[in-house]
Amino acid sequence: MNAQLKPTPLATNDPNKHALAGRPMSGADIVVQVLADEGVEVVFGYSGGAILPVYDAVFRFNHAHKVGEREPLPLIVPANEQGAGFMAQGYARASGKVGVAIVTSGPGATNTVTPVRDAMADSIPLVVICGQVPTAAIGSDGFQEAPISNIMAACTKHVFLVTDASKLEATLRSAFEIARTGRPGPVVVDIPKDVQNTQLVFDGASRLPLPGYRARLRAIEDARLDDAACKTFFDALAQARRPLIYAGGGVIAGEAAVALRAFADGFGIPVVTTLMGIGAADTTQVLSLHMLGMHGTAFANYATEDCDFLIATGSRFDDRVAGVPAKFAAGARFLAHLDVDPAEIDKVKRVDWHHLGNLSRALERLRAYGQTAGFDPLGKGSYRDWHAHIVDLKKTYAMNYARDAAQIQPYAVIEEINKHTQGRAVIATGVGQHQMWAAQYFDFREPRLWLTSGSMGTMGFGLPAAIGAAFARRDLVVIDIDGDASIRMNLGELETVTTYNLPVKIVVLNNYGDGMVRQWQKLFFKGRFSASDKSLHKKDFVTTILSMCRA
Amino acid sequence: MRRIISILLQNEAGALARIAGMFSARGYNIDSLSVAATHDAAVSRLTLVTFGDDAVIDQIIKQSRKLIEVLEIADLTSRDHIETELVIVKIEVGNESLNNFVAALRRHPRAQVIDISAGVRTIEFTGNGAEVGEFLDDLGRVGEVIELARSGTAAVERGAAILAQA
Ligand SMILES: Cc1ncc(C[n+]2csc(CCOP(=O)(O)OP(=O)(O)O)c2C)c(N)n1
Ligand SMILES: [Mg+2]
Repeated sequence: MNAQLKPTPLATNDPNKHALAGRPMSGADIVVQVLADEGVEVVFGYSGGAILPVYDAVFRFNHAHKVGEREPLPLIVPANEQGAGFMAQGYARASGKVGVAIVTSGPGATNTVTPVRDAMADSIPLVVICGQVPTAAIGSDGFQEAPISNIMAACTKHVFLVTDASKLEATLRSAFEIARTGRPGPVVVDIPKDVQNTQLVFDGASRLPLPGYRARLRAIEDARLDDAACKTFFDALAQARRPLIYAGGGVIAGEAAVALRAFADGFGIPVVTTLMGIGAADTTQVLSLHMLGMHGTAFANYATEDCDFLIATGSRFDDRVAGVPAKFAAGARFLAHLDVDPAEIDKVKRVDWHHLGNLSRALERLRAYGQTAGFDPLGKGSYRDWHAHIVDLKKTYAMNYARDAAQIQPYAVIEEINKHTQGRAVIATGVGQHQMWAAQYFDFREPRLWLTSGSMGTMGFGLPAAIGAAFARRDLVVIDIDGDASIRMNLGELETVTTYNLPVKIVVLNNYGDGMVRQWQKLFFKGRFSASDKSLHKKDFVTTILSMCRA
Repeated sequence: MRRIISILLQNEAGALARIAGMFSARGYNIDSLSVAATHDAAVSRLTLVTFGDDAVIDQIIKQSRKLIEVLEIADLTSRDHIETELVIVKIEVGNESLNNFVAALRRHPRAQVIDISAGVRTIEFTGNGAEVGEFLDDLGRVGEVIELARSGTAAVERGAAILAQA
């Protein structure tokens, strides 16, 4: 790719020149140097023939730059490349930085398709570097060849196949830029083995031009809410008596939780979040209504029905939230939408007002405008009834379960753990009922503590994501709340936990089967539990983990 | 309804496939597509014609605008624009139909014979969709069409308006 557009090298007399600029390096060494320059602290991956030059370069880099026992670029090896992809995701979700996975060609690369698509669906920044057969062998059905640029094109923010070694460095740097800017997402860089082995000269700053992408990005970054737009917003809000914020994953990705909370608290506007938006608001607060939607709390859904003004912030009216768009927030006389992605405006529901731009800045601007304009619903008591209604909804429809049941209830397990973690631990999950119970019963006081496969709903996400998070947040307790079926999908990663002595806690809520599937079969298939009953399984989870702990 | 979309694209491997994938992933067919480099060799221009649900196509356009290699994309459907297409057609013309063939050519002054071989004529014609259709109908009455190649529609906005890269 990039046949025509030349990378822009840095002028040689630039005072900001990279210390290694002008140094001869192999393509593989350049890969590692760019990773280091981009601030990568850990990479996840499995080796193989077509990526060996890069693995060797990582080894040499770590050897040359070792500080005591500490390697600057630890390479964490999973059981399966899918695990590497989800570890990189867990790292990215918990840290906000770009997660990196490095895998070999063919099966190594295809094993990452699921976590890559999952990252795309949840807007998670990843860079996945794949080895590829030598340039001359591409398209010949060579050993361990797969058409990765074709396969990944449909599930990434972008994919590069580097056939011109002179563009390798600029491509890698641009891959990080694309992954982390705008609406984040995964970028795959497919590097033929001969390109890894080519002798090149390190530039230290080159990037691809990307004129269209950068221009659109700049337009969004530069967008400001002018007085007229603010006035329209507040004129409408002043008419409202029951406003509600509907916050999504964009608030987390956009690091806008602080601004969102200041805006919500400043005017006394309650907040519901999506599954991906959990942590945008502090769930322990009175006006925080936790998650809405199909698996959300009843009180969040009633509040959404009852509101007369809805402020969608970094959320996208997804089908788990707005199953029937016309009926969603039907009482709202005014819908406002703030986002960074133009394709999300009016996609599902037409809105009355929208702003495309940096979320944090927009929310700050709205708050400042409202304050200056004397908008003071708290002082005037404009929302007194609404707040009372919210408190009432939360009391009437409080989450509950059979507390006197003889069997251990999964909700009780989560409540008990929550008493210890108090909304300050990293919680990863599989997919199923246990995932939704974790979403409902845990508290989250900060963003980036809740790691779950939202849009794709990929079973097997929890354990590797928790492993990745353990590298991002060494200061926090990391817990994988998993299902007996979900954890089985990447069970091999138990050994990754013990190999690297990671302080990851694993809780399996074992209901002997695909509980979420059974729930649907009960509702829609007259209780015919086709293939979802696992009560005949003979696995003992405790012995399984003990077998990974050879002294 | 019929939609005609213009796209400026970085002239790179994979870029075209990504655009096409936007349509195929939704089961939408592309009725015609013309692509070639512009006066700037680094930039290709695509003209794409498709039929389908307006809301779906609006969404495809919005999502295509997010593709990294896309420089600009515009829906020309509702703008005042000019469309044209090149067609190369081969027909069998025996001695008995020669006079009819010549007469048909006279009715279509934009048609040009670009090859004469024994019993076969190859003709080039340019025009908008309706004109090409009429021409082919007319020609089909003169002799048997044995081969047809169409370039796909190319289009620009009328007047000074241009599709410029951002
Ligand atoms: C990779 C994958 N395959 C299939 C599904 C469909 N699915 C959704 S939930 C579920 C059951 C999950 O069972 P478990 O992990 O035990 O969770 P539980 O619902 O029992 O808590 C299945 C099969 C999926 N989400 N992901
Ligand atoms: Mg289960």
